[in-house]
Order: sequence, then structure tokens, then C-alpha cells
Amino acid sequence: MFAMAFFFDPWTPLVFWVGVLVLQVFFSQIDWKKWLLFMLPFFVTAFGYFWTTLVFAEDQSGPVIWTIGDLQITETQLNHALSLSFRVLAFSSLSLLFALTTNPVTFILSLMQQLKLSPKIAYGVMVGYQFLPVLKDEFVQIGQAHRLRGAGGEKNALQRLLGVRRILIPMLAGAVRKAERAAFAMEARGFTGEQRSSYFQVISIGKVDVVLIALFLFVLVLSCTNGLWLS
Amino acid sequence: MHDVIQFEKVSFRYPDEEKWILENLSFSVQRGERVVITGPSGCGKTTLLYLSNRLYPDNCDGILSGSVKLFGRDSLSFIAGEINHRVATVFQDPDSQFCMQTVEEELAFTLENLHVKRDEMEKRICEVLELTDLTEFRHAIIQKLSGGQKQRIATACALIMEPEVLLLDEPLSHLDPYNAKKYVEWLDELQQKRAMTIVAIEHRLDLWGDFFERSISLNKNEVAPNLEKRRCSIKDDASLVVNKVQTKSFLQETTFVLNQGEIAVLAGPNGSGKSTLLKALCQLIPSNGAVQPKLLGYVPQSPEFLFLTKNVRDEVGFGGGNNVEDMMTRLQLLPIADSHPFAVSHGQKRRVAIAAMLTDGRQVILMDEPTSGQDAQALSELFQLIDERACEGTTFLIVTHDMEFAYCIADSILLMNDGLLTGKFEANEVWVDEQLLLDHHLLPPKGMMLREECFA
Repeated sequence: MFAMAFFFDPWTPLVFWVGVLVLQVFFSQIDWKKWLLFMLPFFVTAFGYFWTTLVFAEDQSGPVIWTIGDLQITETQLNHALSLSFRVLAFSSLSLLFALTTNPVTFILSLMQQLKLSPKIAYGVMVGYQFLPVLKDEFVQIGQAHRLRGAGGEKNALQRLLGVRRILIPMLAGAVRKAERAAFAMEARGFTGEQRSSYFQVISIGKVDVVLIALFLFVLVLSCTNGLWLS
Repeated sequence: MHDVIQFEKVSFRYPDEEKWILENLSFSVQRGERVVITGPSGCGKTTLLYLSNRLYPDNCDGILSGSVKLFGRDSLSFIAGEINHRVATVFQDPDSQFCMQTVEEELAFTLENLHVKRDEMEKRICEVLELTDLTEFRHAIIQKLSGGQKQRIATACALIMEPEVLLLDEPLSHLDPYNAKKYVEWLDELQQKRAMTIVAIEHRLDLWGDFFERSISLNKNEVAPNLEKRRCSIKDDASLVVNKVQTKSFLQETTFVLNQGEIAVLAGPNGSGKSTLLKALCQLIPSNGAVQPKLLGYVPQSPEFLFLTKNVRDEVGFGGGNNVEDMMTRLQLLPIADSHPFAVSHGQKRRVAIAAMLTDGRQVILMDEPTSGQDAQALSELFQLIDERACEGTTFLIVTHDMEFAYCIADSILLMNDGLLTGKFEANEVWVDEQLLLDHHLLPPKGMMLREECFA
């Protein structure tokens, strides 16, 4: 992802994006409807980047290839615009590839077992993660209670947003209490934060992981060296 | 040298409070003993328990004087979490004592902390699940289970450590009476098999029978008044008419009528749909059928969920009622009128919630488990509150597992099982119908049994 930031031609991010998509199509089973839904804001952002770079570009050198009314668009401008928007798409699809195919629990376990992440941080994150559904239930319950009192029926979007604040205050108060108790619970289960001597769920690096890394590097190299084989 | 827990002239206070919560306390617990700690809420029972597993004083920066010795060693010489390999704790709140998502992961987490070898883990997990009769829940997601089930899982997690000392903080408060009795029997068997030391906090000892050998009382000489059976205040006019209410998935067709001034208790096993019924009645969840009147008052287990404003007076008057001052006088809220509703005591929060419902013109109040985790003092306060309101014509429908409380307060009992309302019964008929009680996982209240003995 970092490598992408050094390329300003449209082809590098495009090839990278297509590469990620190909990986996703062939090697993962995801809900494409969900994928599209998540990608929607990124498509909008990408188009926004495209259009603003096109219209407000500083570097206006090069031959003019397109004229809309008074607006003259040069090749450099178009290249920069395409490059930026494809970069947005490449980054977002890569993030989604990660988010939609990785089980967060196994990911954290692997970080701890392979990369020796401190158990204190790893388990802290996992405990936070398992509180999410509880917070969601609480949000619904408080919303219900408020509706019963005749609050929260606002039609106006701004008023509704202000109404959310009233739900968040009791939730925050509860969250502080919950966090403290969760820390107690961990300590009461004998958690000392030291490295563990054995794991119940062993996450190991297998052939698949190696193949995926190789494939991924291949896509990266392919996109970075596009100048050599595309010209 | 057989003392596992030894307190010597222990005093303790929280950093931001002047008052000592424990003062000059000395006692010791010997290996294999079964000890119960009793006392009203706020007297330092839980603090005492937290001192016994070394969660305090470190985690709250509390001020401790005197010495706490665990297994003959000063408690402060252990590092955080170390002593917990030998002392297991089951906390009171079922929602916040788990770290992992599924039951299996939670058990494995405990074993990993103890540095158990991987080959042994599987065996120990299977064993403890079988022992606690929870095998079917092995891959269940903990947060989706009911309070009672969570409490049993928390116990399983404590037992898998094979601890020398087991600390329990009101372990029965989320169980229905039938399951509570089973829990006690099972703990009894287990204690004999493993020769554990058990220290429990409990303010309702009736369900435990003669389980405990000794009790340590932290009573500050305030004797809570015993609840007495109230006089019925039913009037002739119907105030809540429920006609064929049902939800799509779980709750089956429900029809009943409650009269003005009637107090009804809704009871049934864990997970039988009691809370669902309450929510369906006040249209918090989509349902079919008709409920008269449209506006019902509802007090959830945490009354603060209802609060919208910054002081008690605004809270009571939020719905725009015009008898705010009168209502606040009647419910004794004037002394706290300018306090923030989040900052008053739990009993007062509930009082505020009911006052707000009544000023809104909601003459029927539904309460979800108001008794859970309440000590005798708080229960008597709750009893008085409900009794007074009912005498003025308010109708109550209360979900509770506390049969003593139900016996004292209820005019009628609604029983539920598996999403189906079995029916509405006269309270006095229910207590003598053993088969009916057994079918709904209920036990007859002790007050009732005492009286029967007198008559026999």
C-alpha cells in the first residue's frame, strides 16, 4: 500500500486494483453485494478526486486532449486525476479484502503467536471486540426506553442526531463501568499479562499463507513495473 | 497454618471517600470451610471479597491498613493475577465477567493463563462442561445467553481452574428458584468431592438450606423490616385489557385483564419470554393484537435507561404533566429534586422512573426484574413503593424470580412457559399447587411454608 504512494501514473494503481480484485474473485468467498455496498462510498470519493484534480489541477502542461466548454484538459491532468482515483480504489479494495476475509479473533491470535504481540494488548483488543454486540443491544434498549417516554420521535435529521447524544451519555457511563469490570474479570481468570506457554487454538503459517504472500508480491511487482511491459 | 484467608484488623476505604467501608475487621477462613458473608448492601461485602482475591487495593487505589494474608502470605506480595490461579471468583453481574466470545474460548483462556499443556486442555474443557451440564453450550456465543446461563458458565470457568478457594458474589440472583436450588445441590456435591473452600456473599439464605457452616455478618446493626403480606387493593374497574397479543417469532397469543389497584407478578423459567411479553405490551417490539390503554408505564431493570434530562424535577415533568410537585411530594422526591438523575441511589432512580410514568398519565406500570441484586433493605423500600401506589389505584405487572417477594406483594400470578402464557391465577391458589409450581420451575415461598406448619 505504501509503495503505491510513490507512483503518479494511472497504470500502477489500476493494475494493482485489478490484481487485488482478481485475487478476491478467485481465492475468497465473500458476499459481493456487501462488497459493493461497502465500496460505494469509495467509488464516490474516487470520482470526487478524479473530478477535482481534473478541474483544479496546477500542472497544466502537455497537449490538450479534451475540451468541455471553457475547460481544457491536458494529458498530464488526466493522468494525475486517473492515478489519484485509482489509488483510492486500490487502497479501499485492499482494505476490504482484508476486512471481509479475516476473522478478527484468529488475526489477533496470530499476531500474538507469530509476531509476539504482547498478550496484554492482544487480549485487551479481543475483550473490546466482544463488547460490541452488548453495546448494540444497549443502544437499542435505551432507544426503546426513550421512545416510550415520548422522546426520539424527531423527524428532522439534525434533531435525531442531537437525540443520539442523549442515548450516548448513559452508554458511556455504562462503558466505563463495564471496562473496569472486564479488567477485573481478566485478572480473576488468572491473567497476568506474561507470555503464554501453550495455546488452545494454535494458529500456524501453512502453505496457503506462503502462496498468498507470493501471489500478493507478484501483483505488487507487476503493478510497479508496468512501465516495462505496458509500453 | 490451615488458614487460607486471614484478615487481621483490616480497615479499608476508597480514595475519594472519607468513611472507612471496613473497620478493624478480623476473621479467618480455614481450608475446606463453607462460609457466607451477609449484610445490607453498601456494607462492604463485595469489597471484602475483592480484598480476598487481591483485586483490591491495587485496582482502586484504596487505602488499606492491617494485614490480609492469603495462604499464609501477605496478599500484596503476589503479582496481579497470580493469586487468582488458586482463588477463583464468580462475580455478581453476569454481563461483565467474560473476556472471550464463546464458552470454549473463555475456558481455554483460563487454562492458557494457568499454563496448562495443550494436550490436557481438551480433556479438562470436556470434563468441566460435563460436570456443569453445559456441554450443549460449548460453542455458544456467551453474550447471547440468558443471565442464568451466563452465571452457570461463569461458575464453570471458575471450576476449570481447579481452585483451592471459590469466591461467589450472590450467585443465585439471576437464577429462577428451581435452578437456584439445583445450583446449591450441585455445589454441595462438588465441594465434598474436591474439598474446596467456598466463601459466598448472599443476603437471601433461604435457598441455601444448611449449605453454609458459618456466617460472617457485616451488619451495621440496622435490621431491615421483614416483609409482610400486603392487603389486597383490587378495585372493580379493569385498567389493563390485553387481547390476543403475540409476536411473530416467539410469544404466543396472550389474553388477560388486570384491574385497577391490582398487583400481578409474571413468573416462569429463565428464557420463557417474560421480558418479551412486557416489551410487546408497551409496543417496544412489533406485535399483533390489542392493548388497552395505549400508554403503559415501563421500568426496565436499569431505570437510568429512561432518563432524558439533567435534574430529577425536569425528569418527572418531562411528559408535560401538570401535577409534578404533587407527585414529587407523594413519592418523597423533593429532597433530591435538583440532583442529576444519574447521581441518586438505585432505589431513588426507580422512584423517579415511576413518578415520571405516573405524571405522564400512565396508570399501569410494568417492571422488569426490579428485585434482582437487591438486599433486604432495598426490597422493603421497593415493596413499600409498590404497595403505596397500588393503594392509590395504580396497576402493577412485575417480572420477578423472587418468590418471597411475590408471595408478599402479589394479588395474582401470571405464569409463562416457552413463550406461552399458561394463565392468570389467584396468588393463594398458586402457592399450594405444587405441580403447577414445578412445571414453571418455581418453589413455594418460605413464608407460605412456615404458615402451613403453624396450621398443621
